[in-house]
Amino acid sequence: MNDTHLKAKKPTAAKSLPAFGLQITELQVLRGMSLVINGLSHHQQAGDIYCLTGPNGAGKSTLLRTIANRLPIADGNIFCPVPIIYVGHNDGLSGSISGRENLKGWAKINGFPYPSAAIDKALASFDATGFANINVRLLSRGQRRRLALTRLALAPANSLWLLDEPNASLDQLSNATLDAVVIAHATLGGMVLAATHLDFTANASPKFIALPGRQE
Amino acid sequence: MIPFFAQIERDLLIAWENRQDLAVMLIFFVIIISLFPLAIGSNVAILDPLAVPIIWIAALLSILAGFDRLFAQDVSDGWLDQVSLSKLGLGWYALAKAISHWLSAGLPLLIMTPIMAVMLNISVSQIPQLMVALLFGSMGLTLLGVIGAALAEGARRGAALMALLILPLAIPLLIFGTLASQSETGIISPHLMLLGAVFLVLLTIAPLVAAIALETGETETGL
Repeated sequence: MNDTHLKAKKPTAAKSLPAFGLQITELQVLRGMSLVINGLSHHQQAGDIYCLTGPNGAGKSTLLRTIANRLPIADGNIFCPVPIIYVGHNDGLSGSISGRENLKGWAKINGFPYPSAAIDKALASFDATGFANINVRLLSRGQRRRLALTRLALAPANSLWLLDEPNASLDQLSNATLDAVVIAHATLGGMVLAATHLDFTANASPKFIALPGRQE
Repeated sequence: MIPFFAQIERDLLIAWENRQDLAVMLIFFVIIISLFPLAIGSNVAILDPLAVPIIWIAALLSILAGFDRLFAQDVSDGWLDQVSLSKLGLGWYALAKAISHWLSAGLPLLIMTPIMAVMLNISVSQIPQLMVALLFGSMGLTLLGVIGAALAEGARRGAALMALLILPLAIPLLIFGTLASQSETGIISPHLMLLGAVFLVLLTIAPLVAAIALETGETETGL
């Protein structure tokens, strides 16, 4: 359907094109019969933090999932030359195994380094070391969220982070940690696109994209 | 290859944590087999020729019974989203799922088979060829199950739909499998070769079909 939609497979491409990050042109996405995203264009460069805002059903999650290549594009195109890290509504953790095992498996299937020291450091960054060896099914919503966010600490510096309500169900301290991690990522040349209803990285004055409500 | 083995390792870890599911499947297998003699009666002349087909049908049903949740858990956990962004790719993911499912369900069933064969009075000399045939048969059924589970993923009544899709496709495996298990020409029979051919065809197409089904199936089930 769309030949120009390239998946982020080659991080090396980013080095030759430092100015280009995520480019969305005239994007249209259908859910069922209704056009949820209609003609959205968005250009984002390395170091940018963007917040998606809009009422429920405006298409925030749909946009993030489309960029993550999980939903088909009806028209327009998305170009992203860097690896994409997606933290969605579902945490991507199996309840039957521990957070550490989940995280290690995730690093392995992505080809990221997975020595114990790297995993430990990532867990420590979200203060998740204390419950990392317990089966995920026994953890609280916020603890799972923190384990899911721990992936961000294992991701390459130039990656694009797609965060779907990342701070929902986080406590205040973890919220501050998340803000710090996101701002550090942007400072090092990464990109962040987050859908949120809450305050997010207010200190770094993120830019906003307002999605209109659903059109009939 | 690290991503591929990581997926298998993860699935085996999860299967080990949920090992009661395996016990349920094995007990199901034993119960189906023991129901046949009860229904048919104790006439040895009737039961003897039926022994191998009974084992095959019981294996078919037990293997397919474990498939309805194969991808459902990964979809609801959000793991599939992570897989589709990763270096693994959905085709290799589906193949890894097939291998780990066979190791955690097909293999224990195969180990259980000689005991069941003795229970059904199959002669000891016939057990090796039954095992070899069932080895290929169970691997083929697992691959069929992966196709069915991927196609039925996200559908309401997925389990029933899957059985409707898969059972007709399992007919070649069942025919060649039962013939190879009872062949007069020993273990390497023409029937076994045909069974192996069916398995190889499934091995090449099942991961691709499952990958396509998982990619497009997501359009209506996601958030």
